Amino acid sequence: MDFSLTDEQKARKQEFYDTCKELEKRKPPSFLGFETIYEDDECWEYNLHCAREFAKKGWLALGWPPEYDGQGDMMDKVLFAEARGYHGIPGVDIFGVQMLAPTLLQAASEEIKREFLPPIARGEVMWCELWSEPNAGSDLAALAATAIRKGDEYVINGQKTWNTGAHKADWGFGVFKTDPAARKHHNMTFILFDMKTPGITIRPIPYLDGHAPYCEVYFDDVHVTAKNIVGQEHEGWAVVNLLAGFERSGINEIMSMLRGLEQLVAFCNQTKRHGQPLSKNLLVRNRLAELACELEAARALAYRVADLQNRDEMSLMDASAGKIFFSELGERFAFLATDILGPYGQVKTSRWAPLDGIWERMFHEHFITTISMGTNEIQRNIIAWYGLGLPRMR
Amino acid sequence: MDLRLTETQEILKQSARDFLTTECPKSLVRELEQGEMGYAPELWKKMAELGWLGLIIPEEYDGMGYTFQDLAVLLEEIGRSILPGPLLATLTSVFAVLEAGTEEQKRELLPKIAQGELILTTALLEGEGIFDASGIAVKAAPQGDDFTIDGTKLFVEMAHVADYILCVTRTNTGTSPEKGVTVLIVDSTTPGISCEVIPTTAEDKLCEVRFENVKVPKKNILGKLDEGWPIVETMLRKGAIAKCAESIGAIQACVDMTVAYSKERVQYERPIGAFQALQHRMADMWTAMGTSRYLVYEAAWMESEGLPCAKEASMAKAYVNEVYKNVAKWAVRLHGAIATSADHDIPLYYRRSKAADTAYGGTDFHREIVAQKIGLT
Ligand SMILES: Cc1cc2nc3c(=O)[nH]c(=O)nc-3n(C[C@H](O)[C@H](O)[C@H](O)COP(=O)(O)OP(=O)(O)OC[C@H]3O[C@@H](n4cnc5c(N)ncnc54)[C@H](O)[C@@H]3O)c2cc1C
Repeated sequence: MDFSLTDEQKARKQEFYDTCKELEKRKPPSFLGFETIYEDDECWEYNLHCAREFAKKGWLALGWPPEYDGQGDMMDKVLFAEARGYHGIPGVDIFGVQMLAPTLLQAASEEIKREFLPPIARGEVMWCELWSEPNAGSDLAALAATAIRKGDEYVINGQKTWNTGAHKADWGFGVFKTDPAARKHHNMTFILFDMKTPGITIRPIPYLDGHAPYCEVYFDDVHVTAKNIVGQEHEGWAVVNLLAGFERSGINEIMSMLRGLEQLVAFCNQTKRHGQPLSKNLLVRNRLAELACELEAARALAYRVADLQNRDEMSLMDASAGKIFFSELGERFAFLATDILGPYGQVKTSRWAPLDGIWERMFHEHFITTISMGTNEIQRNIIAWYGLGLPRMR
Repeated sequence: MDLRLTETQEILKQSARDFLTTECPKSLVRELEQGEMGYAPELWKKMAELGWLGLIIPEEYDGMGYTFQDLAVLLEEIGRSILPGPLLATLTSVFAVLEAGTEEQKRELLPKIAQGELILTTALLEGEGIFDASGIAVKAAPQGDDFTIDGTKLFVEMAHVADYILCVTRTNTGTSPEKGVTVLIVDSTTPGISCEVIPTTAEDKLCEVRFENVKVPKKNILGKLDEGWPIVETMLRKGAIAKCAESIGAIQACVDMTVAYSKERVQYERPIGAFQALQHRMADMWTAMGTSRYLVYEAAWMESEGLPCAKEASMAKAYVNEVYKNVAKWAVRLHGAIATSADHDIPLYYRRSKAADTAYGGTDFHREIVAQKIGLT
């Protein structure tokens, strides 16, 4: 076992951190974490700005093969995610850069790769994911929206939901039933389309704090060229599964929590309660230390996942374990921090809110990681069935 | 970065597993728990022949010269088979001798340890049962060429079979509790030493050691007079990581046994492993094992590289303490009544989870170190 980085990696890492640190200085005051890019125009602009800066350096194409102007490897990608996480920098489109690009590289035709990869690398086109439906959540294969082939086009009808950033995105990728008569898992196709195509209606849904990071999307006779598919026609399920396996280390979220911990420690050192700094309170010390241990455990496991991925030996089980652990750590951290802050833990960003009110947001944002990308219960099923070989539920 | 085991480590792991599977059946574990000695001298000899006792002792002292990380891999297997005996007790003393021993002390002790001829242990805790320097009150008073030790040490692992005891003594009351602590190498046959085994959850032969007017030559100081506390810190740090390595092996055993049993045991016309309530619990046990393992590997790697890792060692210990107890607890729960019986193997692990937790500092002790290291003033 060797946790060390090569000199070259250390230098890259430094460059990632330096750049992100610079970008952090340009954060608009309304930017309070990654989700705010979907909620506020100024934050979305900042997101685009960061994307362009990263694109200039070629960092949106980390791990891509050289023939598509890629550079670096998976480990560089992880180090980059680490730096962005620590400094809380957006600009890497989770849907376009993180999910779609690797999927295209593995499953799309040459023509599709040549058309869609360069704008992603240039940070020009932002994407959204249109998978879930009102009656197809965890059981995505139960989806109902259709894309019926008419000549060299698909005509899409139906509804998608919970689509993060759909109101901001330029393009979307989705799965639709293309052969409704065929058996489950062989009846759907993975399709790419412009979100401005006539017939698409986007309605933001308020999240529990009233902001609107995600949307419902309605399709009413939406025509899309039939060449815009990834993988084989009717075999979109395989593409969905492929996509679900990319960049799962969680290092970005973990580093963001590490930064949060550092800020909270500084707050406790400076803030007096009962006539002494909070940091002297033995209970606070113990609980923060407990969290720090868990955070380091999460980080070590994330490196394990990254190391496996870098070697192309990705184990679903390790990735699922990592996802369960860091997301539930996020819940515990939010509860702990808002607890330590006392009545201030409930204060939204305002002059009364300590630490920019970030913990008030975290008190409800953690659901994003526990519910989306396969709920944690689904992750536990994956470990049990595919990892531990336990009988699969029928 | 390459988090796989090295080839040497894979070989070490496999040979340890093979050896322990034949040499350390659970029947032996039970026998040693009930026996007086708590270890099997023939097995101890064989371990010496395999090079395990001198694994991290440099070649110049007849050891194998392996790294700390390699040791962690071996200990994971030892923990998996819960081999009882004075291995960690001896190793902990080796950590101290390697760090602070004079050339003469090293030549005297290390080759014999590697050959399995000497068993060592460390006497740290006293009445309060705390791991801080303030808990050290047993006095060593200078008298001519000797020190005279008086007082009682508690929870001294395997002291009843040890040849030497590294006794952590109070030689001065300085400006802080850490000042004025001296580690003495005490021959256990010295007149005035008496020893009694304390009954414990894991029956792991923790002893009360009484020192009455015990004379120790001054040349037996390990390190410097009054400046012994950093040696204790080294022992606690390396010992904590070593204990964690054992624990992750034990955790693995608990997970493996539980998953296997859940596929065999049938209730309601299906294997209990088909119930999602149990599946998710096992997924959680597995996840906790994964997080523990890489945290421990990270600390072991840092220790091997000579990087400062007091923070990581304490993080690992504080974390793994809780994981081991909980995984072993869930292993019992998922087995049902069968695993509450003394004849079952799971309770051997459950009982040891408490011993592992206390050794080298409990959860709160290590959390306080972490609290300091993350910058809480
Ligand atoms: C903030 C946020 C952003 C999202 N962004 C997107 C997006 O951009 N694009 C998109 O397509 N979707 C998105 N989603 C939707 C997300 O993918 C789904 O919420 C998720 O797949 C779960 O589906 P569901 O919410 O319908 O819950 P359900 O599937 O109805 O599950 C309800 C409960 O039952 C449990 N459950 C279900 N099946 C099982 C089982 N087999 N075993 C055990 N327990 C089970 C679940 O774990 C959960 O606790 C987002 C969701 C959130 C919360």
